[in-house]
Amino acid sequence: MPTLTSRTMKKVGRRDSSAPSAPRRRTRRQVRFVFVIPATLFIAIFSVYPLIQLLRMSVSDVTPATLGSSWNFVGFSNFSKGFAEGTLGTVLGNTLVFVGIVTVLGLVGGLAAAISLRGSARGSGLLLGLMVFIWALPPVVNGSVWKFLLGNTGLFNSILGISGTSPIGYLYNQHLALFSVAIVNSWAVVPFNALVFRAAILNIDPEIFEAAQLDGARPFQEIRYVIMAAVRPTTLVLTVLTVVYGFRSFDFIYVMTYGGPGTVTTTLPFLSYLEAFVRFDFGLGSATAVITVVLVIVLAMVYARSVRREEREL
Amino acid sequence: MTKKRKSGKIAPAVRGLLFVAYGVPIIWIVITSLKTSNQVFNTGWGMIFFSPNISAYTKNLHGALLQAGLQSIIIATGTCVLVLLIAVPAGYGLARTTGRMPTIALGALIVLQMVPQTATVIPLFQIFGSWGLLDNTLGVVIADTALLTPFAVLLLRPFFRGVPIALEESGAIDGASVWRIFRSIVLPIARNGVATTATLIFLISWGEFLYAVNFFLSPGRYPLSAVLAQQITAFGIDWPGLMALAVITSIPILGLFVATYKQLRDGLTLGAVK
Amino acid sequence: MGFKEEHHLPGITRTSPGLARVLSRKGRVALVAIAAASLLILSACSTTSAPSSSATPSQITVWHYTIDPIQAKVITAAAAAFEKTHPHTKVNSVYVPYDQLQSKLIAAAAAQQGPDVVLFNGGDANTLAAAGTLAPLDKYWSAYKDKTQFPDSTLHYYNNKLYAVQGVVDLVALWYNQDLMKKLGIAAPPTTIDEFNADMAKAKAAGYKGLTVTGLPNDQSEWQAYPWLTHAGVSYEKPTAASLTSAFTAAQSWVNNGYLSKEVVTWDQTLPFQQFLTGNVLFAENGDWQAGAAKGAKFKYGVAPLPLSTDGKLYLGGTGNGIGTFSKAPQLAWEYIESGTLSKSGEISALENIGSIPARLDMVKDPTVTSSAITQGFASLIGPNGAKYPSAAIPPKNVAGVQLLVGQTWSAVLGGQLTPKDAADKVMSGLNTLLKK
Repeated sequence: MPTLTSRTMKKVGRRDSSAPSAPRRRTRRQVRFVFVIPATLFIAIFSVYPLIQLLRMSVSDVTPATLGSSWNFVGFSNFSKGFAEGTLGTVLGNTLVFVGIVTVLGLVGGLAAAISLRGSARGSGLLLGLMVFIWALPPVVNGSVWKFLLGNTGLFNSILGISGTSPIGYLYNQHLALFSVAIVNSWAVVPFNALVFRAAILNIDPEIFEAAQLDGARPFQEIRYVIMAAVRPTTLVLTVLTVVYGFRSFDFIYVMTYGGPGTVTTTLPFLSYLEAFVRFDFGLGSATAVITVVLVIVLAMVYARSVRREEREL
Repeated sequence: MTKKRKSGKIAPAVRGLLFVAYGVPIIWIVITSLKTSNQVFNTGWGMIFFSPNISAYTKNLHGALLQAGLQSIIIATGTCVLVLLIAVPAGYGLARTTGRMPTIALGALIVLQMVPQTATVIPLFQIFGSWGLLDNTLGVVIADTALLTPFAVLLLRPFFRGVPIALEESGAIDGASVWRIFRSIVLPIARNGVATTATLIFLISWGEFLYAVNFFLSPGRYPLSAVLAQQITAFGIDWPGLMALAVITSIPILGLFVATYKQLRDGLTLGAVK
Repeated sequence: MGFKEEHHLPGITRTSPGLARVLSRKGRVALVAIAAASLLILSACSTTSAPSSSATPSQITVWHYTIDPIQAKVITAAAAAFEKTHPHTKVNSVYVPYDQLQSKLIAAAAAQQGPDVVLFNGGDANTLAAAGTLAPLDKYWSAYKDKTQFPDSTLHYYNNKLYAVQGVVDLVALWYNQDLMKKLGIAAPPTTIDEFNADMAKAKAAGYKGLTVTGLPNDQSEWQAYPWLTHAGVSYEKPTAASLTSAFTAAQSWVNNGYLSKEVVTWDQTLPFQQFLTGNVLFAENGDWQAGAAKGAKFKYGVAPLPLSTDGKLYLGGTGNGIGTFSKAPQLAWEYIESGTLSKSGEISALENIGSIPARLDMVKDPTVTSSAITQGFASLIGPNGAKYPSAAIPPKNVAGVQLLVGQTWSAVLGGQLTPKDAADKVMSGLNTLLKK
């Protein structure tokens, strides 16, 4: 089993060459931070302010009646109310399962799709376009399509019916519903990951592939040693984005099961929506949203730390 | 040789699976758009074999749709441009700096994305109200930009990190300013990522409807995404209408994608040519 | 693309032809940017920024949730009626998707904006009034000459002030497939629960479904469950675990016996009726607003009372009409409501285009109501079985919470997630907090 030579490995592993002179680089880096200013200003006004309002609402008693006037500070009672009502435990579990499935299937599917679509053959372009087209459709359309496809008289059950099996309640069986919605959500996010992975794969110097082939590498090794190493920063970012997407995802649940049967498919974002826009308890809904944010902060810290590690590898 | 044969087995299988997974729903959408409301609930073979009619299309194709389409184009293009203007430099800046600040910034970008969109409607409504941006396309563009900039920055950063720093340094040796290096050396190399991000931003803002529904106060200003949401009424969902409208409103995107894909693809092979 | 690290200067010169290409590409990008920017500036400037809530007497704004072309005739008719008597004022009817209406009103109110008239789901009056989006109607109502025509259930009070009035009433009954009944040998619609179960058993034996309802875990389930809950003795004044268990047992039996498909937990109120229209279901618990859709049925159909005991009650819903708090022309707004929705012609328009039952007492004997078997079928239930929606026993700020709790539990019962006893306990413990004054 021929292994890839260190020459090929060096080409793949090394992203930047070693620095010429350290002090000059440091000054240049400070300068480049200026590039961040326009975005920072914009976000400070239009994104950070709503976040602050969210945090304030989560520790206040805010209903439509009190929205316009000053809010009563209630400390953590919005948070404890959520736990006391009992649903929060189930919902947390549902959310973790949901996010796990969407992340794993979304990333694996996206990478597999990107690898198989990286050629510039006509068919690949068409298929990629088809996938992105689907991704761009509103969730209400995609969700409705799957709701019909998975229904008792839908395509899947009709095919099953040919062999005489009784219909499977993909969306109303309490053990299957969460998985069904999570799988549909993964399906919806794969094209996005595929598109981004593909752009990253296409950025790989073709000479690296040639060198690998010269070393006698087989396609699987090509994938493992060349592609996966090269797309590592992209994988990192897509993992974060997909997890965030999973924690935010609400539309598919809304269209397909409305959190049901009962509360089987209720995840944190859906619960937050129910509390804020069905029960109109903005404080409670904000508290649920803040819990979600805290969960993601943990993830954000992991990402940030691996980013720093990646830079130390220079 | 070996490569072609081996990948000749798995890759086409994956492509075939993808084709089915993404082709069947599209077919289903088109089929449904050609049905009447009753035919939607046909079972068995009636799902595929039925007498089609285009009433769902003729019902929905009217002048107001064109206006909504124009509105969608303005919003999507405006958001795309604005996001790129601020996110591309930011992505580069965060790719090339180290230390505490960029790390915190990255974490903040992730956290900002977690704020539910519904939770931002009311604060933004107040801001736009006091700045006179309500019932104004610019307001919706700003809201969409705020929504998508963190996402764009996070997405662009790895593409900028993929540019070999040696090139930037040789540019510096040649005496180019930081800005010139960015514009003439880094951007061309990272154009794959920028183009991909731009496409995604355009598509997402094309489909965004929560801000559009809430910040436009008069009829006739709704973009296509809100028109689609109108198919879900209190009294029922017009399934053929919904699917027909989905097809209609997606055609402009399809056209755009076909047009720019050639550019994207050419841009790719350009760099690969020795 | 990857450049080999050996290429420093050559790397740059290699980009020079590329640079030319890049510049022209950047030139193109710049052009697009300028074009987009000018489009934006144009659109921002051309906004005749009279916010739609500022009703100078030349225009009033009406927010509604009706988009179906036939049902929307109600809106255009109301606008026409108003403009006829007010030749100098136009009506600006704005459609807002049903799910967005409440939150859009609340968001607007938080920024001191809003329409002149709001047409909304009457049961939400408390929430909207509490949010400060509606203006009190008392002074207009006391001067209204027809005010005695309107029963108590159509008036929505909050903190002892009147905030919304209904011109129509919506409720549910038992739609039945007459052809299928004949085929199964059923002579008449069921009047008792035992007959009801027997009929559904016959349908199942012949390969049909017995019933469709909604099982979506939200207020729609609570709306449809209420008749069955009250039939079993449940009341929000004094709920008991025993009565709740009885109601949930009956509901779960429909599913366990195969009369009702478990799939209903994913359906709102419209999908069950669309299923009913395929002809494969014997009964459908659904509302008067399906009258238009029913016309597309390929079988003979009718409407009968739900087979309830005397305790069984039906919620009286319907479109509520209110004046926006930030309206600049509330008097005109009231006149729109009066002529467009509370008048006889307004109610007839709603009846013909949507199927909603006129609320006015002087319309009860009107030929438009009595001549249609379907309309009469619903109208005759209002007096004996009608109940206020939402129930006055629920504190206004907890109405949505109660609806969600009961709706989710009903859905869990139909879906088999909870046993009737556990479901009853869950509801009882929730109601203990929510019903406290």
